[in-house]
Amino acid sequence: MVLKILNTLITVGVGILAALVLYWLLNKLAELLPGPWEDRVKPFLYILPAYAALVFYLVYPAVQTVVFSFANPTSTEWVGWDNYTQLLQSESFQDTLFNTLLWMIVVPVVVVALGLAMAVLADRLNPRWESTSKTVIFLPMAISAVGAGVVWGLIYDYRPEGREQIGLQNAIITALGFDPVAWLQVDEFHINSFFLMIMLMWAQVGFSMVLLSAAVKGVPEDTLEAARIDGANERDIFFRVVVPQIWGTVLTVYVTTLIGVMKIFDIVYVMTNGGFNTNVVGNEFFNQLFSNFNNGAAAAIVVMLMLATVPIMIYQVRNFRREESMA
Amino acid sequence: MRLTAKRRRTAFAATAAALALTTTGCLGSSDDGGGGGESGGDDGVVEIIGTTDPLVFDGLKAKIEEEAEAAGIEVDMQRVDNINQLILTRIQAGDPPDIAIIPQPGVIKQIVDRGEGVELTDDIVPADMISDMTPGTLEAGQIDGTQYGLMISMNVKSLVFTNKQAWEEAGYEAPETLDDLAALTEQIKSDGGTPWCFGIESGAATGWPATDWFEDLVMRYGGADVYNQWVTNEVKFDSDVVRQAADYFESTVLTEGNVPGGRGSIASVAFGDAEDTMWEDDPGCWMFKQGNFVVSADFMPQDVVDNVDERVGVFGFPPAEAGGENPVLGGGDLATLLEDNEDSRAMMEILADVDLGTTAAPESSFISPHTEFDNSLYPSELTRQIADVAYQADPFLFDGSDQMPGEVGAGSFWKEMTAWISEQQDLDTTLTNIDDSWPSS
Repeated sequence: MVLKILNTLITVGVGILAALVLYWLLNKLAELLPGPWEDRVKPFLYILPAYAALVFYLVYPAVQTVVFSFANPTSTEWVGWDNYTQLLQSESFQDTLFNTLLWMIVVPVVVVALGLAMAVLADRLNPRWESTSKTVIFLPMAISAVGAGVVWGLIYDYRPEGREQIGLQNAIITALGFDPVAWLQVDEFHINSFFLMIMLMWAQVGFSMVLLSAAVKGVPEDTLEAARIDGANERDIFFRVVVPQIWGTVLTVYVTTLIGVMKIFDIVYVMTNGGFNTNVVGNEFFNQLFSNFNNGAAAAIVVMLMLATVPIMIYQVRNFRREESMA
Repeated sequence: MRLTAKRRRTAFAATAAALALTTTGCLGSSDDGGGGGESGGDDGVVEIIGTTDPLVFDGLKAKIEEEAEAAGIEVDMQRVDNINQLILTRIQAGDPPDIAIIPQPGVIKQIVDRGEGVELTDDIVPADMISDMTPGTLEAGQIDGTQYGLMISMNVKSLVFTNKQAWEEAGYEAPETLDDLAALTEQIKSDGGTPWCFGIESGAATGWPATDWFEDLVMRYGGADVYNQWVTNEVKFDSDVVRQAADYFESTVLTEGNVPGGRGSIASVAFGDAEDTMWEDDPGCWMFKQGNFVVSADFMPQDVVDNVDERVGVFGFPPAEAGGENPVLGGGDLATLLEDNEDSRAMMEILADVDLGTTAAPESSFISPHTEFDNSLYPSELTRQIADVAYQADPFLFDGSDQMPGEVGAGSFWKEMTAWISEQQDLDTTLTNIDDSWPSS
């Protein structure tokens, strides 16, 4: 233990020292250059390590992934577009895409709507109750998805009829005289997928609420007063005065959640591993890579996911820029 | 220092192009990464990694360390959790352990495909040391007829557990054939009982207990050869023998009234909880087909485990016909030699010894693949009965789903079975889907 701590400290120390030496050397290098060139080149040299790290850890793996997506399971031979065509033609992958789409449509909207509702409602409470209720709502955020799986496993748990039901939902409905239901098996209208989505919403609403709450509190009081003087009712004030002023935050929360949802893996893996038609892209990727050892198909899935995320990222970045220029 | 949009785009394109150039065409070729023989290797310490059940592992480790010391070999034996991935990663990195104890022949095949693994010739493991191995256990370690893995401990899956007292009071007898078993199922039902305890929920691995049923039935209806062809997909899932197995399984287990809660409950009942009600005086279900590992406080109530010989009855899953071929389904841990040097060869000899399990057997669920193993060392009569089922195997056949490619054996086979049992799709779709998921290469 002591040895490990010592090791960590030494590693951190050496790391910092190496970084200092590197920058000092780069600086010296720039100073060797004649007159105006020193100032011209210096910023680039300073940003070089960060840029190199970005290329090395982000761009290079991304390009490598694209390359692998055109190769066979062990990445030893080219197979052209086979990975893509096989995936897109398989019925189970089409179901997986459809499920992912459902997640993308439902979860971000609900998370933003619920978060906003809670932010506004909590805002009306006295400060002590406001912070208490917010803490409670924020709490699930601190629980890992696997932990959430344990919690929600106890809610959705199913035992055959006649045995004691330890699942909350089944305990309730059997007490009311109905037969127990194997909740996660019910795939009519993708109900089981919705049960899984509830878990993510439960975990994410707190995050959405905190950000939106800050935005709501930032709405200038005088705009609200002006609206009241003009005779606007509370509904109009909310939709026409508050919401437009916090729209930027709403979009940010929406997009952040959306990107998170596109990558959703852990909840599905823990609860059903994609069984009963609840599979999503993230889980399929994991299974391709770690149970099928199929580098090609896994890479192809990631590439498709990357392509789908890019437009959203671009939109997000533009949005940030616009807000910055406005501020 | 702002670049114009155009220049920025040019810079980006240039970077991307440069990267693409450096990375394209650099698919790692399979034959230059490995060659682990010359690296690591002869450092005087024999490194063994394995993934056996912790109690079994500790028992074996004690014996191995003792023997190694006597032979003057230094040994470093570690238990790891995900050996299947770890071993391939370490081979790819050119740093394999000397010996890996692997529970899946499919992984050994992947190792051999990567040009690794040392053939266990007669001068490494002398024939007379392994002449008493249970029939079929040697074959389990062969890849295309060449011996790469040597089974050092085994587990048995063709077992049906019962509530011994209730069973004896009711006067039921162990069935001799599959037809007897079906008749017994009807008998229990007409006596007002629920014949089978069955659940297939197992988290991310949901469905696997159903695959054991299919394996047991396919090897009985088709015989060992057909079974082995089925495992390699030469015999399709969509075939008469698999349909015959499915029919038997469906009429014996899935019929309404044959499991508590009916067919719809199977996919949501944890496989290890299915027998919870079997131990009551008036059993909630009567027969529980599962591997020997299930006799443990992890799955059975503590008071049952504390009195196994009074509480737990067991019989071997019966053959198709009395006196005919008697295949037994099971698994085992296969010692695989990855670094060929003097010390690791000596270690393989220690692992092949009939007495390897003398410290593990009394303390754990260990069952030796050697029929001449001193069976008085097993901790209970129940374990001796289980070992007997295995030793009478003709032949012992390795768990099929563990030998199939991961896409099938740890993927579609589980998932499609789950979908079929929970009535989300019919049998035709199920069998075709599994065949379709078979990787082409």
